[in-house]
Amino acid sequence: MVCPNCHGMVSEKRSRCDRCGQDLTLYKRIYKASNMYYNLGLEKAKVRDLSGAVIALRKSLEFNKRNTNARNLLGLVYFEMGETVAALTEWVISRHFKPDDNDADKYINAVQENPTRLDALNQAIKRYNNALTFAKQGSDDLAIIQLKRVLQLNPHFIRAYHLLSILYIKNGEIEKARKCLLRASKIDVSNTTTLRYMNELEQKPAGGQEGEASLSHDSSTIMPISSYREDKPNIMAFVNLIIGVLIGVAVTAFLIVPSIKRNNVADNNQDYVDYSAGLAALEEKEAAIAKLQEENAELSQKINDLQAELDGIEMPEVNPELYDPLFEAASLYMDELKKRERDRDYSQIAEILRNIDTDKYESEQSLLLIDRLKQDIFPVVSKIHYDIGHKLYSDYKYEEALDELFLAYNYDQTNVDAIYFIARSYHRLEDYESARTYYEMIVNDFADSRRYQSAAEFLESLPD
Amino acid sequence: MINFEEEIEKFQPSPEIEQAEDLINNNDLTDISDILKALLKDKENNSF
Repeated sequence: MVCPNCHGMVSEKRSRCDRCGQDLTLYKRIYKASNMYYNLGLEKAKVRDLSGAVIALRKSLEFNKRNTNARNLLGLVYFEMGETVAALTEWVISRHFKPDDNDADKYINAVQENPTRLDALNQAIKRYNNALTFAKQGSDDLAIIQLKRVLQLNPHFIRAYHLLSILYIKNGEIEKARKCLLRASKIDVSNTTTLRYMNELEQKPAGGQEGEASLSHDSSTIMPISSYREDKPNIMAFVNLIIGVLIGVAVTAFLIVPSIKRNNVADNNQDYVDYSAGLAALEEKEAAIAKLQEENAELSQKINDLQAELDGIEMPEVNPELYDPLFEAASLYMDELKKRERDRDYSQIAEILRNIDTDKYESEQSLLLIDRLKQDIFPVVSKIHYDIGHKLYSDYKYEEALDELFLAYNYDQTNVDAIYFIARSYHRLEDYESARTYYEMIVNDFADSRRYQSAAEFLESLPD
Repeated sequence: MINFEEEIEKFQPSPEIEQAEDLINNNDLTDISDILKALLKDKENNSF
């Protein structure tokens, strides 16, 4: 044992401390009494007399606060009664007095290793306190609701069972109160409060609010046996069934069927309208497609025509040979100018100029150049062909003379001599109509010329 | 017969886990050994 004076270890057989000389006789009796109460508490705990165990263990600790076994067992008993905080308190104090090789460590760890369980236990305590507040305020319904939840969270909470039982008893719910007390008594068989409330229930007059209180406690789980009675045929039930069926058929025939038909007709009409509208839209689309196809054909034809026209266009600028005759004539003319005047020969240049199609010429400068060349060259060439033609006329070669004279006329249509001898050649050839044409040309257009008089006289002499 | 109001008033709030530390610190751990030691100590003081 430990000497209470010097805390040194002393043999159990010794009555005095070897170290400090303290008389241990009284202390040994005190420790013996503490152990005796611990054993008593243990016996009560084993038979679930938790309340009695608490009393014995607390007495044990009053004798010896260092009795670790008694304190650990007290913690276990508290925990079994739902007093979580009291249990933890005892275990922590136990560990304080005996830090090593103490079962309290195991108990504390077991609680702390499951935080969810610990939180549920704490929630149960908080709700119990809330329920107690409601109960003291007279809000029994709220208190009962809270207590039911408390017992779900901690089904060993003896205090909650007691409070719930007293609230049930207060509200006349005797059987519920009895069930609560029975559950509490299964946890703590000889709890004074439980027994007192049970005794109160036993004294309650028979015929409680629920009608079940009249039953004794022992018979509460026995179901009442009803007497045997043979079923008689119930005609009214059959009649009611027939009436119900008839009403159902009538409702179906007069209300539901017409409604269904009306809906079907409406649906069909809607379908027809939708179909007609769709058909009209389809026709409209087909007409639009046909019109577009026609327009497409027209446009394609127009494109083809334009393409053909475009292909047929010969761009003047693109034709490299268009201006070649003009350039050739100009070049030859420049060559001829370099010669002496009597050696010049413009016949080839005149032939080139005469064959140029000026309609294809768009350049104004080129047209001006052609006109200038013609003005310079054509009269000269015309006179040359006139001389040749006049000589042939003089040799009585009138037909050959006409070829040259016409060339002279074509190169210079003001060459009145060429016109006169054309007329004379036709006259000699007795082609009087042709001769008349050219005589009249002189008379009408060249009245001031020296050939006028002769032409007029020959015109008069022509036979009609 | 139980007086319900008085009976309910007897119920005390259960200490919550947050209060455990205060409970441990304020716990009266005096036992008979302590009392005996105090008595013996007083006796010794008075004898001198």
